[in-house]
Amino acid sequence: MLAASLALNGLVMGSVLLLFSLGLTLIYGVGRIVNFAHGAFFSLGAMAGIWLANSGMPFWAALLLAPLGVGLLGVLLDWAVFARIRDRPMVDSLLLTFGLALLITGVLYELGGRNVQILAIPPALQGVVAIGAIKLPLYRVFLSLLAIVLTGALLLFLKNSDWGLRVRAANDDPEMGACLGIDRENLMHSVVGVSAALAAVSGVVGAPIFTAYAAVGDKILILAFMTVILGGLGSLRGAIVAAYVVGLITVFGEGYFGGQLALMLLFVLVMAMLINWPRGFFGEGRTE
Amino acid sequence: MSDSVTASATQSRDMTVRTRALVLLIVAMLGASVPLWTGSMPFVLILASQAVIAAIVALSLDLLMGSTGLLSFGHAAWYGFGAYLTGLAAKYLTPEMLVVLPLTLVATIVLSAIIGFVLVRQIGKTFAILTLALGQIMFALVFVMSGVTGGEDGLQGIPVPTAFGLPIVRPDVWYWLLYGVLLAAVAVAFHIRRSPLGKAWLAIRENTERARFIGLDTGSLKLLSYVVSATLAALAGGLFSLFNGAASPDLLNWFESGKVLMYVVLGGVGTIIGPVIGAAVFTITEHYVSSITNSWLIYFGGFFVIIVIVAPGGLFGAASSIWSWITASRRGAAS
Repeated sequence: MLAASLALNGLVMGSVLLLFSLGLTLIYGVGRIVNFAHGAFFSLGAMAGIWLANSGMPFWAALLLAPLGVGLLGVLLDWAVFARIRDRPMVDSLLLTFGLALLITGVLYELGGRNVQILAIPPALQGVVAIGAIKLPLYRVFLSLLAIVLTGALLLFLKNSDWGLRVRAANDDPEMGACLGIDRENLMHSVVGVSAALAAVSGVVGAPIFTAYAAVGDKILILAFMTVILGGLGSLRGAIVAAYVVGLITVFGEGYFGGQLALMLLFVLVMAMLINWPRGFFGEGRTE
Repeated sequence: MSDSVTASATQSRDMTVRTRALVLLIVAMLGASVPLWTGSMPFVLILASQAVIAAIVALSLDLLMGSTGLLSFGHAAWYGFGAYLTGLAAKYLTPEMLVVLPLTLVATIVLSAIIGFVLVRQIGKTFAILTLALGQIMFALVFVMSGVTGGEDGLQGIPVPTAFGLPIVRPDVWYWLLYGVLLAAVAVAFHIRRSPLGKAWLAIRENTERARFIGLDTGSLKLLSYVVSATLAALAGGLFSLFNGAASPDLLNWFESGKVLMYVVLGGVGTIIGPVIGAAVFTITEHYVSSITNSWLIYFGGFFVIIVIVAPGGLFGAASSIWSWITASRRGAAS
């Protein structure tokens, strides 16, 4: 009974993680940047949702506008900041995004991020779905479906569109891609934009559950890092499987042992797995 | 002719080594004299002591980052681990510093060797991500064991430590003690840098694959560097909690790790003395800036971003490149 309910909630958590870590995988794949500021984009999305809701906008408008705004900010950041260190060693990109994460968090603190706020669930999504004896809030069902639909759309887009072709080419071999005339600058602008927007979507839809404050993205960032490492850095299908594994482990751990201990359990599991499978579930993660 | 060129080159190298040693000596003396002129301002001495502790942590991270090129985003994990373990041992076991500190060091060596065993096998980015996660785990551990560690409130009531049974209370004695540890650590770091071990570490930083090809056991060497670095950080943490009389979970925050990283980047990765100076400058600046504004994080993050873009070698690196540019042009003008 408890286990079944936890399993469902684990799937919900996994869906949010999936949506969030796809952006991490995309940026890594195309730009070889591990984006420590991805959690800050999540917080920014959640906070933007609150601001928009407080200014009288309906939930749906916030869900559309917040990711749009954060996505544009992502494009701007890539153009203004990431572009400066494109050909520098990997260390610099790590340090840069780390500094950026602190900067964004600092700004959010000044803009009301010190208090924990909760985004109200729209009336249409209030209520409970009962599957047999197990009850799940309708909002969580919506959340999972939205994440799955968005992920599916992104994967289809990556597979079938011209942009997707370029992204996959740059992912496989950036130099060869550049030789074939792919404009890496523009591609990176769009990839960072899309990835930031994805983080913001998960921030807004997560705000009624995970609440919203300046550092709300920190914990999910750690979970997402565990996800991409389990799935293999840069592997999309690895990330999909790993997101649900991490989601289930986290929720079961929280249910039986409490949140902080669940995090430790996850870390130990990831470490144990890395001993034998450093390249993730499908063995396609990069180790350079 | 080539003989005379090499001769003059060695001579000028001797000169720079001698000037550098002289500058270091003067800086070291200046540092040691702090308690002599802060008698009327006890707070400045406490701030200076904190700067010295920060310098030890910075040095510990530089031993890892600057030697083997492994980037740790969770160095506060070891700093905080040392602080809590020492604090707990002093509170429940004995306040004798010469017992609790070695105990902490041994525990850190064991634990960091186990964790490092898995960590150092990961390359570059995975290592960086996992160290960040480790920092969060240590942070979580404080709350999991809040019955012992005091959780949110921090670890309170660490007794005044003793050395050989004598309590250490006077702030100037504390300062000299901390400063002595720092000087010893810097001396050891310089010695390691010149030893075959240091050369092997540098080889790993420059090109791990080639280092392996010439027969270096890169895995063990990386692990050694990780353990040394973690242990020194834990020592700094232990000294901090004894000095401060309390430890708080803030010590393990990832912002704290970011600060340590900032010391090293600001001072120049791998320069040993740069991160030490960077830490001192940064700690003192932080104190005065955060007393003016409370949006310190914005300035900190923004400054971090700018430093990485504009001066990846750190301020020390920028200064030394300006210095070598000046000396080079002067030499060019002389000939």
